[in-house]
Amino acid sequence: MGKPSDLLQGTLDLLILKTLSLEPSHGWAIAKRIEQVSHDALQITQGALYPALHRLEHQGWIRSEWRTTETGREAKFYKLTKAGRVQLEKELAQWDRLSGAVGLVLRMV
Amino acid sequence: MKPGRYWNLVRMRVRSLLRRGRVEAELEKELRFHVEQEMEANVAAGMAPAEARYAALRRLGGVARIKEECRDMRRTEYLESVGQDLRYGARTLARSPGFTAVVLLTLALSIGANSAIFSVIDGVLLKPLPYPNASRIVRLFFSSHDYPRFPLNPFDFRDLRARSHLFQALAAFTRSDVQLSGSGEPVRLAGFRVTAGYFRVLGVAPARGREFNAKDELPGNGHVVILSDRTWRDKFSADPGIVGRKLTLDSQPYTVVGVMPPGTEHPGNEYHPLPYGDSVDAWRPFTFDGNPSQRGYHIMEAIGRLKPGVTPAEAQAEMNTLITEIGREHGGYNGWHMLVVPLYKVIVGPDVRLLLVLLGAVGLVLLIACGNVANLLLARATSRQREIAVRAALGAPRSRLVRQMLTESLLIALVGAGLGIVLAVGGVRALVSLLPAGFPRAGSIHVNGAVLGFTLLIAVVTGLVFGLAPALEAAHADPQRGLRGGGHGSTAGGGRVRLRNALVLAEVSLASVLLIGAGLMLRSFVNLLRTNPGFKPEHVLTASLSLPDTDYKTSTAIAQFYDQLTRRLAVLPGVKAAGAGTDLPWTGYDENVGGFTIQGETPPPGEDFHARYHTATPEYFRALGTPLVRGRFFTEGDNHNAPKVLIINEAMARLDWQHQDAVGGRLTFSDTPKAGDWITVVGVVADVKDRPDANGAEPAFWWPVLQAPFPIPQMSVALRSDSGAAQLANELRGEVHRLDPALAVADVRLMDRIADAGVATARFASFLVGLFAALAIILAAIGIYGVMSYSVNQRTHEFGLRVALGAQRRDVLRLVISQGAKLTLAGAVVGVAGALALSRVMTHLIYGVRAADPLTFTAVFLIVTVVGLGACYVPARRATAADPMKALRAE
Repeated sequence: MGKPSDLLQGTLDLLILKTLSLEPSHGWAIAKRIEQVSHDALQITQGALYPALHRLEHQGWIRSEWRTTETGREAKFYKLTKAGRVQLEKELAQWDRLSGAVGLVLRMV
Repeated sequence: MKPGRYWNLVRMRVRSLLRRGRVEAELEKELRFHVEQEMEANVAAGMAPAEARYAALRRLGGVARIKEECRDMRRTEYLESVGQDLRYGARTLARSPGFTAVVLLTLALSIGANSAIFSVIDGVLLKPLPYPNASRIVRLFFSSHDYPRFPLNPFDFRDLRARSHLFQALAAFTRSDVQLSGSGEPVRLAGFRVTAGYFRVLGVAPARGREFNAKDELPGNGHVVILSDRTWRDKFSADPGIVGRKLTLDSQPYTVVGVMPPGTEHPGNEYHPLPYGDSVDAWRPFTFDGNPSQRGYHIMEAIGRLKPGVTPAEAQAEMNTLITEIGREHGGYNGWHMLVVPLYKVIVGPDVRLLLVLLGAVGLVLLIACGNVANLLLARATSRQREIAVRAALGAPRSRLVRQMLTESLLIALVGAGLGIVLAVGGVRALVSLLPAGFPRAGSIHVNGAVLGFTLLIAVVTGLVFGLAPALEAAHADPQRGLRGGGHGSTAGGGRVRLRNALVLAEVSLASVLLIGAGLMLRSFVNLLRTNPGFKPEHVLTASLSLPDTDYKTSTAIAQFYDQLTRRLAVLPGVKAAGAGTDLPWTGYDENVGGFTIQGETPPPGEDFHARYHTATPEYFRALGTPLVRGRFFTEGDNHNAPKVLIINEAMARLDWQHQDAVGGRLTFSDTPKAGDWITVVGVVADVKDRPDANGAEPAFWWPVLQAPFPIPQMSVALRSDSGAAQLANELRGEVHRLDPALAVADVRLMDRIADAGVATARFASFLVGLFAALAIILAAIGIYGVMSYSVNQRTHEFGLRVALGAQRRDVLRLVISQGAKLTLAGAVVGVAGALALSRVMTHLIYGVRAADPLTFTAVFLIVTVVGLGACYVPARRATAADPMKALRAE
């Protein structure tokens, strides 16, 4: 089973944190949102998503709780913690620096 | 990291670890929710429900892998897998109960032995002495080349105390038992006379009343007493009004001024010794009577508490300066100096080497056990090769395999240690009961936290040591080779065989070292038993009497009492001889006297004549069985009217009469002798050493009781009977009380018990080291047996072929045995070399045998060889049974 586009681990973390910064949501919704926003350019495999969520939770950047969805099902919702917000800022700044630098190299060389 | 977040992390980890089931269930639920959402989305997009579900599941990928990865993210997999390894290990061990039992028994015995010996070391050597700041307490001795630890003269001590600046407190004490009478049969209290401040040196204050002060030391004072807690409880029913109460001690009135608290330990002493511990009943003040310018008699043992920061060496330098100064004022102390030794060293010093040798011996046993267990694990690793290969092929990382093996080893070691502790608790009790009487600090030997900690430590270390080789094996497991059939034709790699052989060789050599040590100890013990002690201890009853000086003021009165008593005892039925003398063999020596003159002889340059002095009744030597070498024993005619006579021992005859026969020789204690001052030697008796393991006897002489130059009130009675000396105890008491109802009959003992106590340390050492050596050789034999049977199993096929090709059974037998013999002999040779290198350790512990004793070495070499060959024989027999047909069919 090939993966449509492999994401660097750090990048997936950044995407999850960014998505959760809007509102708390469950795993499936996070994946769908990223796919929609990227016009299906980014495909989030569950094999990457859930370990990443668990890792982020263990690092204390997100927190989970069981809630009922609009359709009346129980789902595990993740939300950003204070530390996670700080981490998101850091990672965004880093991403800007990195993508800027990569773009510069690609244009100059 | 902020504390809040850190706390969150810990909470999460603990939750994942402890509530694993719940966390797993939630993960399951979360993933199921995802699949359902996906399915609904697919249905919404127009798929048939079954197709939608299939697509959703396919999209999800391997559920198990996701779960595993999520678990990894939780970072608890390490701890969880330790739990798994433990469970797995426990299952594996339970599946091979025989193997597990052998390994656990080996470990339990060797770890238990180590814990038991460590308990003794901890109690005797490691625990601080029960005095505050005990490291600052030192003992002080007057010292010369011949007498390294001699007592001090009281007035010398008083001068030293007055002039010294380095001590917080300085005190002296001398043994002085006392008779307590008043209610019931009189009893003898073990006691000391001590100078003021004695208890300040020890750092123990009386529980009631006061300790002695400078006033109590003045001549004429001193009729005060401090009781031990035990005496206060046993003899005075813990009377709360004891301080100020009047007692009768030695027929004189005394006032109790204090009671010491329980646990006031006597620091031990050398001169008329009482062992270290709760051994003293009463303390009385030492009074400085007599003429301070006469400094010939030495009876005080000194003890001091150094000021903070002062070292014993500094104190010794000060003491030496002072004693030289004092010596100059009183005629010089040529060849004498002061010796300052930390109290701890004095108390445990003589036993340190013995205990360390025992610790070394059990340490070797543990090493051998480690070798054995490592070997067994290696053998098992070979049969587990397939299992390990399968696990490696299924993707288990090497580190995980190594960890699995080490976890198993640690599990084995810890269970073994647990069993070992149980054995140690029993073992320590047995050890303490085996310890020679009067062994210092035996009371503080317990299995305690320190012992448990030590056991845990050695369990972990041994687990790692014997687990290392099999674990590394597992790390190099080759899944290809392991999976490819196995069994037939595969033999262990050369490296593994070499490792196993090296382990067995080491075991055999360590066992040889221990056997040699045990052999030397056994030989010294036998030597001690065989040495002629200079007396015959069988069927002799002894007791000690002390005549109060108020009732027995003169030597004549004392002599008359003992004369009457021994006459009465001699006619009791069954008594062959009854005598009395100032001391008994092997119970601590009596006083020394020096500076006498021997007619026609001169002392060696720089020395003077000196000898231990005693008094004896005519039958004393016959009662003890001390043979007369030349001349005659005393008779009743040797009284105060008769010419003065002496009996000397062989050592004195040999050392002091270089030019003439000692019998008939004359000596005098007077510097300006008149005709009546010369004393004639009438007999020479056999030597009796101070201790059975002393190198030689000290020169000694005896005055007839009736001619003793000064009163010696304390004497020991010896009764030799036909048999059953013990039954005479009551009659002895009866006769004493018929003569004087106020006398306490103390220390009623059989002479053979005293003689037995004299060799108790040697027996203890040889028994324990022998026990450990036996354990060692059994373990080594198991090791040889294990390695040989493994090798035979591996080569069954080869032996079958050999037989098929015409080899005789005995050729196969020879082949296997020679392989085992090579190992054994190499081990024995290495062991003998090791024992020779270590022989210096043994020299102080053995008696009458050289550390490089050829007989012991040869015997051990033979024993090890025979045991080794015996251990090979069974596997070798099995090799000869290799079936040639099977081997051929398999080809």
